[in-house]
Amino acid sequence: MSKERRIGVYVCYCGGNISDYVDVEAVRDALENEDGVVVAKTHMFTCSDASQQLMIDEIGEENLDGIVVASCSPKLHLHTFREMAKRAGLNEYTYSQVNIREQDSWTHRHDVEAATEKAIRLVRGGVAKTKLTAPLKNIRIETKPRVLIVGAGAAGLRASLVLADMGLTVYLLEKEDEPGGWVKKWGKMFPNNKRGDESIAKLVAKIRTSESITLYTNARLIEKSGSLGDFEVKIEVKGETIPLNVGAIIVTTGFKPYELAQDEFGHGLNGVITLPEYKEILFASGEDKLIHNGKPVKSVTFVHCVGSRQRQEDYDKPNLYCSRYCCTASIHSGLTTRGIDPSIHQYHLFRDIRSYGRYELLYEEARNGGSLFLRYDPDSPPIFEQAKNGRVRIQVKDQLTGNEELELETDLVVLATGMVPRENDELNNVLKLPIGLDGFYNEIHPKLRPVETVVDGVFIAGTSQGPKNLAESVSSALASVSKSGGLLMKGYVDLEPFVAIVDADKCTWCGKCEEICPYGAIEKITAEDGSKEIALITKAVCKGGGTCVPVCPEGAIDIEGYTNEQITSLIDAMIKEVV
Amino acid sequence: MDYDILIVGGGIAGMESALSMGEMGYKVLLVEKEPSIGGKMVLLSKVFPTLDCASCISTPKMASTAHHSNVDVLVSSKVSEITRNADGSFTVRLHKKPTFVDSDACTGCGECELTCTVALPDEFNFDLTARRVAHIPYPQAVPKKSVIDRQGLSPCSYSCPAGVKAHGYVSLVRSGQYEKAFRLHMEDAPLPGSLSRACYSPCEEQCTRGDYEGTVAIRGIKRFMVDYYYDKHPEPEYGPAEVQQEKKVAIIGSGPSGLTAAYHLGRRGYPVTIFDNMPEAGGMLRHTIPSFRLPKDVLDRDIKNITALGVEIKTNSTINDLGKLKDEGYDAIYIAVGAGMPQMMGIEGEGHLNVLDCLTFLKQAQDEEKPHVGRHVVVVGGGNVAMDVARTARRLGAEYVHIVYRRTVEQMPAHKWEIAEAKAEGVIFHPSVVITRVISTADGGMALECNRTVSQPLSTSRQSSGPYVTDETIAIPVDTAVLAIPAIGNKPNTVPFRNDLAINSNSTIRVNNSSLQTSLPHIFAGGDCATGASTIVEAIGQGKRAAFYIDRYLQGDKLNIAFDERLPMTDKHSVHERERRVTELEPLIDPELDATERVDNFDEIAGTFTEEQARYSANRCLDCGYCSECNECIATCPSDAIRLDQKAEKSVHKVESVIVATGFKLFDPAKKPALRPDHPNVISAMQMERLLSPTRPYNNLLRPGDGRRPDNIAYVMCVGSRDHAAGNPICSRICCVYTAKQAQLIMGALPLADITVYYIDIRAFGKGYDEFYQQASDMGVYFTKGRVAKIDPAADGNLTLHYEDIVHGGIKTANHDLVVLATGLQPEMGVASLFRDENLELDELFYVSETELDYSPGQTSLDGVFVAGTASEPRDIPDSILHAGSASALTAAYLEKRKRNT
Repeated sequence: MSKERRIGVYVCYCGGNISDYVDVEAVRDALENEDGVVVAKTHMFTCSDASQQLMIDEIGEENLDGIVVASCSPKLHLHTFREMAKRAGLNEYTYSQVNIREQDSWTHRHDVEAATEKAIRLVRGGVAKTKLTAPLKNIRIETKPRVLIVGAGAAGLRASLVLADMGLTVYLLEKEDEPGGWVKKWGKMFPNNKRGDESIAKLVAKIRTSESITLYTNARLIEKSGSLGDFEVKIEVKGETIPLNVGAIIVTTGFKPYELAQDEFGHGLNGVITLPEYKEILFASGEDKLIHNGKPVKSVTFVHCVGSRQRQEDYDKPNLYCSRYCCTASIHSGLTTRGIDPSIHQYHLFRDIRSYGRYELLYEEARNGGSLFLRYDPDSPPIFEQAKNGRVRIQVKDQLTGNEELELETDLVVLATGMVPRENDELNNVLKLPIGLDGFYNEIHPKLRPVETVVDGVFIAGTSQGPKNLAESVSSALASVSKSGGLLMKGYVDLEPFVAIVDADKCTWCGKCEEICPYGAIEKITAEDGSKEIALITKAVCKGGGTCVPVCPEGAIDIEGYTNEQITSLIDAMIKEVV
Repeated sequence: MDYDILIVGGGIAGMESALSMGEMGYKVLLVEKEPSIGGKMVLLSKVFPTLDCASCISTPKMASTAHHSNVDVLVSSKVSEITRNADGSFTVRLHKKPTFVDSDACTGCGECELTCTVALPDEFNFDLTARRVAHIPYPQAVPKKSVIDRQGLSPCSYSCPAGVKAHGYVSLVRSGQYEKAFRLHMEDAPLPGSLSRACYSPCEEQCTRGDYEGTVAIRGIKRFMVDYYYDKHPEPEYGPAEVQQEKKVAIIGSGPSGLTAAYHLGRRGYPVTIFDNMPEAGGMLRHTIPSFRLPKDVLDRDIKNITALGVEIKTNSTINDLGKLKDEGYDAIYIAVGAGMPQMMGIEGEGHLNVLDCLTFLKQAQDEEKPHVGRHVVVVGGGNVAMDVARTARRLGAEYVHIVYRRTVEQMPAHKWEIAEAKAEGVIFHPSVVITRVISTADGGMALECNRTVSQPLSTSRQSSGPYVTDETIAIPVDTAVLAIPAIGNKPNTVPFRNDLAINSNSTIRVNNSSLQTSLPHIFAGGDCATGASTIVEAIGQGKRAAFYIDRYLQGDKLNIAFDERLPMTDKHSVHERERRVTELEPLIDPELDATERVDNFDEIAGTFTEEQARYSANRCLDCGYCSECNECIATCPSDAIRLDQKAEKSVHKVESVIVATGFKLFDPAKKPALRPDHPNVISAMQMERLLSPTRPYNNLLRPGDGRRPDNIAYVMCVGSRDHAAGNPICSRICCVYTAKQAQLIMGALPLADITVYYIDIRAFGKGYDEFYQQASDMGVYFTKGRVAKIDPAADGNLTLHYEDIVHGGIKTANHDLVVLATGLQPEMGVASLFRDENLELDELFYVSETELDYSPGQTSLDGVFVAGTASEPRDIPDSILHAGSASALTAAYLEKRKRNT
């Protein structure tokens, strides 16, 4: 910018928080004669309404075009002063905040002189950077009020219906012939004893009649481009490719049950089945008898932690995680069994019973009803063999009875297999979703952004993200519905303008920037005059991370708001001698 | 204002809901009962399983919530009720507690906190450390505004008829600020010296410490601060008010009431002239109270406080013509002539020369030329004045001073200490004797003829249960008799005003009880001449009141506003509740001269506390009402934001939907006495969170009992969870993994410490949790399966745990130097009662029921009402956030459907 800048500098006392350790007036004096500084003042509390009003007045009277406030951390008041600048009719990005509290006065309480010098350097740096600010505009993206949901299990079905209620259009993809996932195969589920099959049937019926939801079965997502709020995707449905334009994508691809190795926990013996298989038996049984292989079942032994909480020393690629649902699901299946035939003996071989929260009441009901819980040590796991009578004989050391060796014979052994991630190679290729150590999709942050991924506008939910029970799956699915709503319901999103820009004259397209960008924000295009190929930054995808800047051999890339020139002049100003 | 949604509770679930709804474009009202949003999460150290700093995760959410353009946050506020409107929307009534700080003006600088003189246990540090009454809840609070904690007025301040902030000056003396303490007193009453000697201290009667070892010596503390100040400042530090008013005020009478009125009017800039018919100012203070109780130089110094303002005192000036005063240019008149008319009993022979009324007697005793009283003096009466008379008579040389009283000594209205001092000085008490007449003896002397009485227990009124007079007659020979009977008392001399003003039948001037205005608008009257004989401090209170209304009158303002809108008195019961573990501190008695040293002179008998004694005494104060009104915050606040008169605010809003996010409370381990939760080295896990947090109270991991570094720490799991006896059969979901987290953090802080976790099952079920638990185990944390049955104190502040070792068998004991109780969660109560006329369904444990848990997490039994987070079940933070997201989606769907249907 060629024109001489008119910068206002305001140094804050913070009621002693700064001024007790930094000579605030000396900082002001040092800055007063700095090139480009028109106004240099101090305030007891710069953030107070009164001080803000004084600054607004001065911006007008002195015709200021850049503001520096030296006060606390920008985390506290960056937003405050950007708003103040806007109210004064100034572009909010011509405002800079310099932190002389957390990073100076509070840190150097023992040395007022040095703290004051540091403050002067910091504020000078802020002024130098501000002198090179340009008015920037937020990047506004018009969003499309449509959501693509991949996976029509319980989570995907519920998410679709709520999105439709919210007035958004939904495309629901299911790779199988029928929607409903695992739950449609199950009868009574914990904790409310609702039948999975019936609930799913109701949801599917609603989906089919909804005008806002299009359900595609035998469908796959094969291509995605564009950015948050405005994705172009292609799906393949029974050989046909359909293009769709959506604002957000929710991935609810679910889990698969742990697959046992031969002999693992007696797998392969007659009478040893998995929990999902047992649920199908319960589902198929009548109201008064439990039949397996044509014979009435007299005893059932549940074995917990099968395929979960595996130990490094026992497996090559162990599933270290707990599958969360299996303790309660096993206990609940036991209670359902008792409901069918109370005379059936029930045993649970467990490590820790994780009937968390209210599920503890089910555990209590199971114990009070006579189910026996035996705790095994993973160092000496139970041993299974086929007895001559066709039943399964189990040897187990029970820690609850002082490590007594017990022998049981049981008609059925139900292995509470954990949840493992699906291998969705094709989908992962299209969406480029990060996968965690446990093999499930990974959110950005379990607390700050629990359903968001590093790919803006693509959300994950349900058991694709990690083991969950039904209510928890739906809860996370609806949380991703909320996030989609936040993105799409206003019709636009505003992003901060701190993104990379390419100097087309300098760029020679070597491709290094494209390689290093973790967000896939850079692509090759032909320059306007057709003379060469250059890099193009998709502003909506760029996060201003800046990794592309140092790798560019031509120095053709800058980050808006943090240009090379700004940073070097900031450093120069900071190292200038303080007299 | 109308909103799309009301969110009740500003914890992590409430904030997440608010942000989700705000982002979707809905107008959100978030109501939080605490002064900051953020709930409990922001108080944690780090959070599992990622070990991020809890504040670093919470504060951005708190700031985004507070700054979001679609979200209005109301803190320190409670929902009073929610009612359903005919169209399905809701009317919400809110109650905002006063924080006594103008939050728009407050910049959160924390200066008030530095000057506040009252410390309380810091609830946000779970009582591990202290905070001030004026405080910012915690460093990351949003909004970062000060709050002043006022639980009502402390009983001492509340009971003072002059409105002197007793708690305030006690608190200032406690912190060594004696001159400030004096100046605080001067805000209300300008005669602190006199009060420190002669006030009957209703404050001490009300003092809550009196329910323990003995009342705080409030008057003794005042006396110390007054003597300290007067010693440093023989003259007042101020002169006349800077801005002078034009209108003039005349005050008749220079007693405590007149002087006080003059002082407050003088401070407001009015030219004031006091007229008094005596040669010296002070009224009863000078002429009635014996100088051995109130030395006259103290009174003289007190009076300077008034005259320094330019108040003129014209002595020897009798005012008999009120109209003339008006003609002389006085725009308002305050009559405070007291009740100085002696009253006799009306018995036979009382006209005898040597029978005196008490006022005349006491006045004569003040003269240079002391009256001759002879050897035998009889004082009739049992009140404080009677004691003063008797003790004065002893000092005038009477060998035998008799107090004759018609009831028992116990029934005497005089203060116990006055009776005791009189006895110590040799005064002879004749209880149950009534005087019937005065007879002249043959030798020209005098005797009192008396009858014995039989006393009955005192009922409500002294007169109604008068003693039964027997026929037994006695005669007491006497040189001087003084009648000092409180039941008769003294009357005001209001004769000169009879023509101008309405006078009551008991000779008092008729006034409006609030404004003290008489039947003539420009004339006010107060003190004893309006109330009848009373106390000094009452008279001072009247003077202050009169000044307030005279000022309003002269400014042309209405008089029908309240004089003194003070908070109600704090509930003593709540003080007792919180002071269960008060350290015993014996009260100090005011020092005084020995009886033998004092009985032959008029020297002041009581002494002044030393500085150390005064501070010790002040330190006994229990800070009943929390805020002492020492006004230090007002003086120090750079942005004038303190508003001690702030009132609760009520508001009404229309909302379309509600999310209940009221969260949880922690199980109170006091309900498990076998685990010794009262032992200083048995702490709750939440306290351990604070010890480990970035803003930790001790800046180190120390055990609270003795500040030693713990070396062998035990965690007791499932305290208040999975426990029918504790009323909570369910699992709290978070304790196992937060314990694994704390154990890891402790191992970082104290690498050599041993940590043992006593558990039933380790429930590390969430994403990454079991790996996190394994990590703790691999780091060397001992996990022992076994429930701890009881804990006993052991030597050196250590503790012995009794537990069953499940895996290895047997009942065992273990010694630890710090025990952490992993307390579980319980629901916040009172949620359902917010909804009037509608039933918000709760489960058997009082959590909000989710009626469609599997497919609509967050839906409640009421249309348009949703629940988020731990209000419906214990949840960890990620689950709470997801649940809040779910509730938000359902709310948005509900709102959109409503829009389409209307």
